[in-house]
Amino acid sequence: MILPKFDYKKAEDIASAIALYESSKGQARYLAGGTDLIPLVKLRLSTPAAIIDLKGIKQLKTILSEGRRLRIGANVTLFELKNHAMVKEYFPALYESLDATSCETLQMRGTIGGNLLQNTRCLLYNKSLAWRKARGFCYKMGGETCNVVPKAKACFSNYCSDNALSLLSLSASVKIAGPHGERKIKLEKIFSGDGRNPFTLEPGEILTEIHIPLKRSRGAYEKLRVRNSIDYPLLGVAVSVNNKKGRVCVGGIGPAPLIYDLKDVEGASVKEPAQKARQEAKPVSNTTLSPAYRKKMVDVLTQRAIKRAIKEAK
Amino acid sequence: MKDDLNIVGKRVVRSDSLAKVTGRARYTADLKFPNMLAAKVLRSPFPHARILGIDLTRALKVPGVKAAISGFDTYGVKWGVFRYTQDHSMLPTDKVRYVGEDVAAVAAVDEETAMEALSYIKVDYELLSAVFDPVESMSEGAPQIHEAYKNNINIHVHIDVGEVDKAMKDAYLVREDTFKAAGEAYAMMEPYAVVASYANGFLDLWMPNAGPHVRAKALSNLLKMPLNKVRVRHINSGGAFGDRSEVSPGDLVASLLSIKAGKPVKLVLSREENATSTRQVHDLIATVKTGMKKSGVIVAKDYRVIYDGGAYSSTGPIATSIPFYVYEECYRFPNVRYNGYRVFTNKCIRGMYGCHGRAFLAGNEAQMDLMARELGMDPVEIRLKNGLTSGEMTATQSRISSCGLAQTITTASKKTDFKKRWVKPEKGKGIGMGCIAIMCGFPMGFRSGSSCYVKMNDDGQATLVTGLVDNGQGNESMVIQVASEILGIPMEDINLINADTETTNLDPGAYSQAAAFVGANAVRIACENARKRIVSIAAEKLGVEEGDIVLKNRLAFSGKTPDKKMPISWVIREAFFRGDPIVATGTYFPNIDFEREWVSRPWGQMAGTFSFGTSVAEVSIDNETGKITVPHFTAAHDCGRPINPMVVEGQMEGSIQQAGIATIMEENLWNGGFLLNPDLLEYKVPLACDMPDIETIIVSSMDPEGPFGAKEGGLTIRMNAYSAIACAVANATGNLFTELPLTPDRVLNILERKKVAKK
Amino acid sequence: MKRIKVSFSVNGEKVTFQVKPYETLLETLRERLDLIGSKEACGMGACGACTVNVDGIPLRSCLVLTPEVNGAAITTVEGLAKDGKLHPLQEAFMEKGAVQCGFCTSGMIMTAKALLDRNANPTKKEVIKAMSSNICRCTGYKKIIEAVEDAAARK
Repeated sequence: MILPKFDYKKAEDIASAIALYESSKGQARYLAGGTDLIPLVKLRLSTPAAIIDLKGIKQLKTILSEGRRLRIGANVTLFELKNHAMVKEYFPALYESLDATSCETLQMRGTIGGNLLQNTRCLLYNKSLAWRKARGFCYKMGGETCNVVPKAKACFSNYCSDNALSLLSLSASVKIAGPHGERKIKLEKIFSGDGRNPFTLEPGEILTEIHIPLKRSRGAYEKLRVRNSIDYPLLGVAVSVNNKKGRVCVGGIGPAPLIYDLKDVEGASVKEPAQKARQEAKPVSNTTLSPAYRKKMVDVLTQRAIKRAIKEAK
Repeated sequence: MKDDLNIVGKRVVRSDSLAKVTGRARYTADLKFPNMLAAKVLRSPFPHARILGIDLTRALKVPGVKAAISGFDTYGVKWGVFRYTQDHSMLPTDKVRYVGEDVAAVAAVDEETAMEALSYIKVDYELLSAVFDPVESMSEGAPQIHEAYKNNINIHVHIDVGEVDKAMKDAYLVREDTFKAAGEAYAMMEPYAVVASYANGFLDLWMPNAGPHVRAKALSNLLKMPLNKVRVRHINSGGAFGDRSEVSPGDLVASLLSIKAGKPVKLVLSREENATSTRQVHDLIATVKTGMKKSGVIVAKDYRVIYDGGAYSSTGPIATSIPFYVYEECYRFPNVRYNGYRVFTNKCIRGMYGCHGRAFLAGNEAQMDLMARELGMDPVEIRLKNGLTSGEMTATQSRISSCGLAQTITTASKKTDFKKRWVKPEKGKGIGMGCIAIMCGFPMGFRSGSSCYVKMNDDGQATLVTGLVDNGQGNESMVIQVASEILGIPMEDINLINADTETTNLDPGAYSQAAAFVGANAVRIACENARKRIVSIAAEKLGVEEGDIVLKNRLAFSGKTPDKKMPISWVIREAFFRGDPIVATGTYFPNIDFEREWVSRPWGQMAGTFSFGTSVAEVSIDNETGKITVPHFTAAHDCGRPINPMVVEGQMEGSIQQAGIATIMEENLWNGGFLLNPDLLEYKVPLACDMPDIETIIVSSMDPEGPFGAKEGGLTIRMNAYSAIACAVANATGNLFTELPLTPDRVLNILERKKVAKK
Repeated sequence: MKRIKVSFSVNGEKVTFQVKPYETLLETLRERLDLIGSKEACGMGACGACTVNVDGIPLRSCLVLTPEVNGAAITTVEGLAKDGKLHPLQEAFMEKGAVQCGFCTSGMIMTAKALLDRNANPTKKEVIKAMSSNICRCTGYKKIIEAVEDAAARK
């Protein structure tokens, strides 16, 4: 499938990337690995006037261990990150989620920044323009309805990053640079909760770094999928535990992950957060496997992930 | 039949693989011609609507556009494989019947321009109510999709042998179950593509196809061109799996555009279009009622099967029949009634598939296992007891000439310790067996046979000319291997001209399981005829008896005194000298009852011979998630003599993927008339990591008629691998499935149903 | 739209083109260089039939913009045979019967090559994992996996 017309610009550093964005009058998209963006553009779900390639920015490619945190450049590929010695040792949930992301070839192209900022997905959204025109535009395409749940007021598209869940479980934060300067926020703050526009980043902002507190953790990532490679999660659960405290993150259902604290690991009830997550998760028929099933699985996989993490913590 | 073979039966490298591993094998989308245009198709956005008008004028004004067409540019001819199924105009002018149906098209200097021009085509529609469920579609008051077919019943196949009702009444055990299977995608790796080039009154065409002659015939009808002016050319094909046998709307589109523009036109479908707008696999609902004696002998079968046929007939009469036949060719049914209905819905056209009849086949097999258990028997025993043997007749009067069914059952069950494991499965584990037969060919009138022309060239090489088709399964290599064996020259000395309608003769194609039995047989006979000529000259020259001549390694020599020898090339040159070059033809026409007809006369000899196979699957179920893993899969196949065992294994392994593992993941998902997974991400083709350890066993029964004893290789496993997995899940859960595929959500439902039943 | 000058090497040969900014590497290889071995089967990065190696990394060329590979060294399936001798992977794919319809074959071989280049002696598990990046509809993968293992042993 051929791409629509757009201009290509390559940025040398973050400042020039932002300058290029500003010169495009808001009609540009940043390109990292492209594994999410290029299909969206091919489907005409995104029609930028220009694409600004960030891969030439050296600063975004490094992983630095800085005493209290691990600083990961947004353009580090999933494969590089997975094979970084500290990741497996300090952040097993992250190692597992990286390993479970798509397939090795796409892990070598996809970047951690791009993985976090991937668009939400829906079987009625990720389609060609002809398909979508025939079916009618939904909220996420600028229409007035949801094609999955008639009369719904919100968009139920699913956020399908495996690694956001593990990073959230590790209390990661992200650095963002934009036309109005730099800011650092907790990772959970990037999610708007609105499937139409799932991120809180302002126009022109670039996610530049991910920071993980450098504490040895124990953890697990459980992923529901039909095939054991290539597939996006139909549900993902990450749990990380450190110093008797833990965090449980549930995603792949709806536009933003759900986060729960495990206050006391020793006496933790495995069932309580699992049931809470099950109650709060709102799967609809917008991906493979039935919503009722995915809801049940929230409970099952959350319990599994917690049990594994606790077991390893002990 | 001699057994000291040099090439046949050996694991030789396929003749087509060098081009494929070096990236040089050409497929349709790879073709480039001077002045070639790119085509794009405007498709129906509605599942059912009347066409009020199509206006191409603005599209034609876009700079770079060279032609635009719609159904109003055709002769209005409707194609059908049978005289009674002529309902498909390929480009409709009355109404559209599914989302994605071809409505109009443009050819332009490049794809971008063609895409732009599509947006200027104006089509006026009047919306009609649509129907997507075949049962609803059959009921009174449903929207009528074609005027000619009442209640949208496209085909009704009715077979009634013996006295079913009486036998059911007298049976010791009777069981009736209903099974549903979702439709599937062929998901061949190559998206559909056509290149059409019209010049000097001739139309040349390239497209992945399973039968060039029937394709050319259809286009000659649709375009009202003499058949000799429509030439379908040879090209590699990136998979077909039962599809691509029949003319496709894209063929007509590209042809019309090329005729209008006077330039070559290339149409390449996107992956999404390939899924929404070529062919899909039938959804089905099968009700299976079986009566058995206390001994486990089947006394009666009563079937009602509903096939969701989509919007047009396609190969409907065949599709409505095949699941029943492959089953009756496997088991003995003294009394049987079959009512197969193919019903129109407002969905894409449905075609034949390598695992066509999933709900029917898996349902029959799983039900038989349950009945066996009730009678204190096991699946092996009951299959052996009811399985057909050599020399028997099927219920609809086909004689089975060679049959290794029992051997495949016993070999596969011994290898897997089946009986013990089935009787008392470990917790969360199960084992299942599927058996089937496949007819090697079926009645296709004068197209049922194949013929080959072989010419011996002056350097001792040979050229074969045959209509035989290869869609990736290795048919081309197979016939070169056969020729090499007979002519005594290596495979690389043999050139093949095939699947070209101008130079080759009719052939049943690569969709009727007849390539080995019919196509290779014609090549065998042609080469044997050429061989006779070579032997005769060599015997004369070497001064020995003809019966003493051996052809091997490019030499003709005396078997008794091998020193007496000469190169085969000398023999051939001698023939040229004598003004009588060595050329030969061979034809094989199978022994089929040509009075047999799918609807009007469903009895008589179906095919020249039949292949058999047994699949055994071992499954493991996660009882919390319902997710199935398949640690091990064993397949035993009677394909007669395997011409290339490596290729037959490859077919069996591919079948275990496409039919076996498919059982737990593959299905088309719908939102009304909209296909939700027309891609390779959400349509789940199993991956390397999803595959079991595979053991393939070839049972080499020798067919008396087949070339070197060969029959169809591979498709039996494609037809029964699904059953094996489904039966294994039934074994593991102790509960019968009703809906297929067995995705984790459905499996969990089965497990929960069982829990409820226990309480 | 202004064209962009891009230079890179393909199978050891340096090339320079003025490409469309929105041209994919797959289009450039197929349309400008006639390297038709890389196939478009899904166009969305889901199947791997268009895999080529860019600076040693396997990439789905349908997802890569040609301007992105400026200065890179690209190897396609056409560049594997050297001096008339096939690459061990090509030999193994032929001899093990790993090729059926052939449409996924180039991508499979290029994925396998990238694996063997970074890990000369992969375990079977590692081979399966790497090859699970690509879809094949014909073979059931068994002979593909065997061919990759065999090629590793040949090296």
